[in-house]
Parts: sequence; structure tokens; C-alpha cells
Amino acid sequence: MTRTRTPGISRRSTLALMGAGAMTFTAPWVARAQAKTIKIGMPTILSGRVAQLGTSSRNAVMLEVEKVNAAGGLAGRQIEMVVRDSKGQPQEAARVARELVNTDGCELLLDGEASSGSFAVHEVARDLGVLCIHTCSEASSLTADPKQHIPNAFRCVRQGIHDSIVGGSYAAAISKAKGLKKWATCSPDYAYGRDTTGEFTLYLKRFAPDVEIISESWPKLFQPDYTEVVTKILQAKPQALYSCLWGGDLTSYIDQANIYAMFGQMEVFAVNMADYTALTVVKNLPKGIHSGNRYIKTFPTTPENAAWGDAYKAKYNEYPTNWSWQNATAVMFLAEAAKKANSADGKKLAEVLKGLTIKCPFGADGTVTMRGDDHTLVGYAIGWGTTIPQEPYVPEVKAGDWKTIFELEAEWKKSKGYT
Amino acid sequence: MTELEAGRAQALPSVRSGAALRRYRDLLIAVIAFAVLASLPLFTGSKALLDFIIRCSAYGLFATSLNLLVGYTGLTSFGHGMFFGLGAYSFGLIMQKLGVPIPVAFVATLAITAVIAAIIGAICVRLKEIYFAFVTLAFQMLIHSTILSWASFTGGDQGLRGGIPRPVFLGIDLANHVHLYVTSCALLILGLLAMRQIAQSPFGYTLRMIRDNAARASFLGIDVWRAKLTVFVLAALFAAMGGMVMALFVSGAYPEFAYWTISGEAIFINMLGGVSTFLGPIVGTVLLLLLNDTVTRFTEYHGIVLGVVILFFALGLRKGLLDFVAEWFAHRRDAGEGR
Repeated sequence: MTRTRTPGISRRSTLALMGAGAMTFTAPWVARAQAKTIKIGMPTILSGRVAQLGTSSRNAVMLEVEKVNAAGGLAGRQIEMVVRDSKGQPQEAARVARELVNTDGCELLLDGEASSGSFAVHEVARDLGVLCIHTCSEASSLTADPKQHIPNAFRCVRQGIHDSIVGGSYAAAISKAKGLKKWATCSPDYAYGRDTTGEFTLYLKRFAPDVEIISESWPKLFQPDYTEVVTKILQAKPQALYSCLWGGDLTSYIDQANIYAMFGQMEVFAVNMADYTALTVVKNLPKGIHSGNRYIKTFPTTPENAAWGDAYKAKYNEYPTNWSWQNATAVMFLAEAAKKANSADGKKLAEVLKGLTIKCPFGADGTVTMRGDDHTLVGYAIGWGTTIPQEPYVPEVKAGDWKTIFELEAEWKKSKGYT
Repeated sequence: MTELEAGRAQALPSVRSGAALRRYRDLLIAVIAFAVLASLPLFTGSKALLDFIIRCSAYGLFATSLNLLVGYTGLTSFGHGMFFGLGAYSFGLIMQKLGVPIPVAFVATLAITAVIAAIIGAICVRLKEIYFAFVTLAFQMLIHSTILSWASFTGGDQGLRGGIPRPVFLGIDLANHVHLYVTSCALLILGLLAMRQIAQSPFGYTLRMIRDNAARASFLGIDVWRAKLTVFVLAALFAAMGGMVMALFVSGAYPEFAYWTISGEAIFINMLGGVSTFLGPIVGTVLLLLLNDTVTRFTEYHGIVLGVVILFFALGLRKGLLDFVAEWFAHRRDAGEGR
């Protein structure tokens, strides 16, 4: 048998060679084009019981990043977000944060971790020197404690101490008006629950000295059954109840307490109620629960805030969470800082971020500030109001006074030995 | 001397020299492995690879130490993670509060772990099987709860904050990434070598005998309780070493390090890699971390992927990877000899 054709370079090989040649020549240009984008890494919790923290944070970030990119990017560089799950484990958060910087080439970090995970990412930021903005951790010590302070880390999150000061003064005013002297507390048994409750009662007693705490309950985090807690509170017969339960725990608690008609028997102050994650899930939202604002599109009562809440709902078919506004604000800060610094370099951005005030839909007066001395967010809308069972859920919110917050926060810092 | 006795007399030195060779072979392998690992930063600038190997060192020491209990002694501990956490916390707290040199903190951590492991072990090793497993789990939860509750000392659920100070010692600066990497590798290799020595020593064979038939071992005059307690404490020490490497890597210690899920991960690693070979847990560690790191890059539904992998190993291979490979080689060899 004779060959009819002398085998040469096949068509496939020719195409492959041409492709390889083209790649070789265009690679530098492709690389240069890629260098124009800036990668921002975001370790957060996307799985498990608090996955909503991560998903609603990511949604808000993407919403804002699209706007920044449409407006030309961060100092001319398009933002590419790399969001990765840490499963809520601090060692994974540290690993993911390092991977995002070392392997994926992220130049900035948005830390969407809660509690211990945020401290783990903070150490990575300390180690690698990369600009990091914490967007979910409410633990006051993260920025208040001078041992934690590093020049390249900021926190764009509300704080437990701010909530407690505003909540304490609001509750004290109602206490005095309605003669609520006997109080009970019911909060989750971990650092956030104990610290926040301690701070709330501290300020409540400061503004209303005749208040007495007659019962304390500390259900476990993610506890499914609250019967014993509810009956214990009912037996103590307090005139008012404070709780910093949150998310699924708060909604389960309210559903179970409703069976005992608890909310008709006392005034309830639940700092984390006014968040759509709780408001929309509770089966029969009782009227008249006092709550701090987490995120609600009707407070601050500005068209910008309402528009932002609606835009988020339109895009993701659900309302934003407290984590959402904080993450969105972090991107707004980055965009404004890049404009001022005319650069997306982490060090230059950090310099500009210190003390930076920006226009923001979530600001008490339409602006928020990244306080220079402790790199933390201040001036955000903070207030308390009472619930109704349907939208807008919390029709009137009484705004907290930032002057009082600053004064008492400074005192608190001194008492903790931070200043 | 009969012919048979003469044959034995000749065979004895050759067995001894074989054992000596094996001992040196382990040492040689350890030196080569360390040389290869330590020279890696010369060839690659990939910090991610070095990070991966540092984490492998932490989990590898931890999982192999669990295999001393599970694979060699037949003690399935569900609470081994408590020593991982204890190592991380003791080391971190000593460095933060006392500011002593790192080697002092290292030795002190091992001493603390030994004392606590001896107390816990003295209670646990009297029990067998599921009772042993659950009492170890109970102790783990006790330590985890203590860490959470003693917030003024341990930082509670937010962990040890503010970073772990890493003063330079003997020219080694653990704040330097490459120095930390080489030190982690050295600890891994030294730890593995020591555990290998334990496994291959007469004591190691006593453990195997206890695993296979504790009553027979007891009739032969072995103090089973003491042997079990000894290996429990030794395994705790290596787990604490793993915890210290992890604490240095994340520059902190968190309650999750002492939670039952960490023990679960170590058991999973042993299932993946295999418990009948010494290096099984190391293979399992590399597999699990590789799987974890790759899958979490692409999806947040990593639980499903890992679940499928567990099913594959549990139902498909019915053993760990290295066990499977070892058996496959044994089959091939037997088939070759048969032909």
C-alpha cells in the first residue's frame, strides 16, 4: 500500500502554532491590559448558618463596584472582585486572605468576616501590609484597642458601643416616661451578647438610675428552643426586656414568645429587630417592639437611602441587610479615596482614608467619616424606633445624637484603658 | 550447636543490621525530605505554595499524632483537637503575656500539654471504644467552653488578639515568611521522625498488640493502661506542636482550634490517607487541604464536593488512599511471585 499524501504539519498543529505565536506576541499587551484592572479580595462567610452575612455583603459590594467601574474605575483601573468563602473559620479566613493577596494578586482587601475571623484577617493585613477595610465585624476592640492599630487597616462598620449608648439613652427616656423600673435581659451567650448587654444596661442605668435588672437569661447561640427562657422571664414579671439576639435566633425567639403572648405583658427592646433579615421572617411581628436601626430603607429618611434600598431589592429580589450598607459604604470610601489620591495604591489610599468624610446615603447628615485616630466609621445613621407588622416596619426612628456618642465613647475608652 | 541453632546465630546479626539500616533509612529519608522542602524557596517565589506547606505541617503533625492513637493503638479519639487548641493557646498566651524566647515558650507549651494530657488520659484510657471516644469528646468540649468563658484570659470567642510576638532567636526570625516556612518544615520532619521511631520501637509493637488483643497483651505482662496513657500523652504533644505551627501561621489562636470539628477534620484526614501506613495521614492532609483550597476557589458549595469525596473513599475504595496503593502493590508483588 502506498501513501497518497506525504504527511506534513497537520491543520490542527498549524492552528495551534499560530495560536501559540499570537499568544507570545500579544501576551505583554494582554498583561498590560490586565494590570489596568485592580483586584480586590474579599474573604467572607458564604456557607453555613450565617451565609447571609456573606451573600448580602457580596451583593452590596457588586452593586457599588458596578457603579464605580461604570464611572471609570478606581483611579482609572477597573475593579475585579475576588470573593471567597472562609466558612466562618478564622484559620480559613487567614488562609483565604493570604491566598487572595499572594496568589490572586489582590491589591486591596475588603474583610467580610465576623468576630474571630476579622481578627485573623487583621493579622494577615498586619503581616502583608496590604490595605484592608473590615466591613462586618462589630467588635469595638478591633479598632478601639490601640494594640490592634495598624496604619493599613480600617473598619467601616457600626459598633456595639455606639448602639449601646444610643439604645441606653433612648430606653432610659421611655423608662422614665412609662415608669419602667424592673428590667430583664435575654441575650446570646457569647462575647457579643454579653458585652453589648453589659454596655446597654450600663448606659440605661446612667440615664435612668432607678432601673433594676431583675432577671438575666443567656440562651446559647443558635439555640432552637427558647421555652425555658420565655417562661423564666414571664415568671420574673419585668416591666421591660432587653435583647440583642439577632437573625434566626431573634425570629425563633419572637415566634416562640408570641405563643405566650409575652409582648403584650412588657415593653421589649430588641436592638437587632429593625433589619429586614428579621422583620420579614417573623411570622407575626408584634407591634411596638423597640429596636435600633440595623438597615432600613426608611431611615435615614432621605431619597438617596430609599433609592439605594430599592435598587438593591430590584437587583437581588430581597432587601439589603445591615452588612450590605456597611460593605457598600466601604466601596464608596475606596472610590472617593482613589479620586483624592489619584491612585489605587494601598498606601496612598490609606493616607487619604484617614479622617476622610464622604457623601453617603447611610450617613446621619448625609455624610460619614472614617475617623483618623482609630480608623473607624462614625457619623452613620443610628437611631431607635418601634415596629409595626407591615412595611415600612419601623415608621419613625428617633435619631441618636453623635455628640453624646462621642463623649460617652471617649469615657468608655478611658475606662477600658484604651486611651 | 545444632545446625538449626547455627543458622539462627547467623541470621541474628543480619536482622540487626537490617533494623539498623531501616533506622538509618528513615533518618536518611527525613534528611532528604527536609533538604528538598527547605530548598524550595530557592526555586519558587510562590508564597501560596509555602503557605500550603506550612498548613500541611500543622495539620500533618496533628493528623499523624491521631494515627498513633487510632491506627497503632486502636484508640479512636473524638477529642484529639483539644491538644491542637491547647498547643496554640498555651504558646500564644505565653508569648503574649510573658514575652519569653520562642524555644522556651515551645518547651513550656509541651510541658503544659503533657501535664493536662496525663490528667485527661488517666481518666479516658480506662475506657474502651465508643466510651473512650465520647469521653475524649466531652473533655474537648470542656476545654472549648473554658476558652469561650474565660474571656479575660483567652479573649473568649474572638480569640487571642493583637498578634503573637515573634522575637528573633538563634538568627531565626519567625516574622519572616521563609524563616517560618523552614521552621515549620523542620518541626514537621522532626515530629514525623520521632513518631516513626515510636511506631517502630518495641513500644510501638506493644501498641499494635494492644490494638489487636489487649487481653493477650495484659496476660503477657504488659501494663496496658500505662502503655495507652503513654501514647495518649505522646500523641497530645505532637498535636500541640501542630497547634503551635498553626498559631504562628495565623499569628493568633481561636476557639475553633479546640472545637470538635478540628478533631473531625483529623479523623477525616486519616480516613482519606489511610491508617495502616505511617505516611497515610500526611497523604490525607495534602489531599484534604488541596481539595479544600481548590474547591473553595470555585464554589461555596464545597460541602457537597467533600461529601462526594468521602463517599468515594468510604464506599468505593473502602480504605484510605495510601492503604489502597500499598495493598495494590502487595497484590502485584504476590501475583509476580506466584507466576
